[in-house]
Amino acid sequence: MSTIYEGMFLVDNDAVRSGWQGAKSTVVDLIQKHGGTAHTSRRWDECKLAYPIKGKKRATYLLTYYEIPTGSIASFTRDLEINETVLRYLLLSAEEIPEEERTKSAAEMDADFSVPAPPEDDAPEVVEEEEEEAEASAKDDSGAEADDEAAKAETVPASEDTEEKKEGE
Amino acid sequence: MARGQSKPPGGLSSKRGKRLNLELGPEDPIDYKDLELLRKCLGPQGQILSRRRTGLSAKRQRELKSAIKRARHLALLPFVG
Repeated sequence: MSTIYEGMFLVDNDAVRSGWQGAKSTVVDLIQKHGGTAHTSRRWDECKLAYPIKGKKRATYLLTYYEIPTGSIASFTRDLEINETVLRYLLLSAEEIPEEERTKSAAEMDADFSVPAPPEDDAPEVVEEEEEEAEASAKDDSGAEADDEAAKAETVPASEDTEEKKEGE
Repeated sequence: MARGQSKPPGGLSSKRGKRLNLELGPEDPIDYKDLELLRKCLGPQGQILSRRRTGLSAKRQRELKSAIKRARHLALLPFVG
């Protein structure tokens, strides 16, 4: 028995940059692999995330309405968890496919349709490098301070010894 | 409230804040994709506002709760802040 589902998939922008149709087909192919059919699939939005997911600050939302056998849902979600292109997903049962979705999905199939490239400000590597540099500089400072303290510690007993000698004299 | 004083309009004291006007019909669905509506129902720290503030029925408030939680799962809305 097949049921209609609404699926919202959070797709990694790195995959979208290499081609929107390829990124979309990763999800659609998964649906087909589990015996389902994707009736509509379209780019819903590309925006900054409310909180980072897997180090990504931006992602593209793919909205699909598809039919899949109810027994395949467990294996389908398992494959989605394994897939690294899909950062997160939400699957809901739907009574019917909205007419608006059909028209918007059909518009995406036109040759004129082009997806704007996602901005480059979601790369986590730059942030990590900056943090590493900051940590390294902090370590250097603390290391220098520790050396100074060690040097002071060495000098203090020496002075005490001299004082003791003076007292003995 | 002391005797002789009239209640504030809307049944809410000024300390508790004003009731929202969500302009939501009885049949209008509360969808997790409707971020404009959902953001109105969040507090400054991202908490879901009470029924007292939203003015929704218990059933509609549950729909709102589900929609906000779905949106949070997809990182459309923050959990905090």
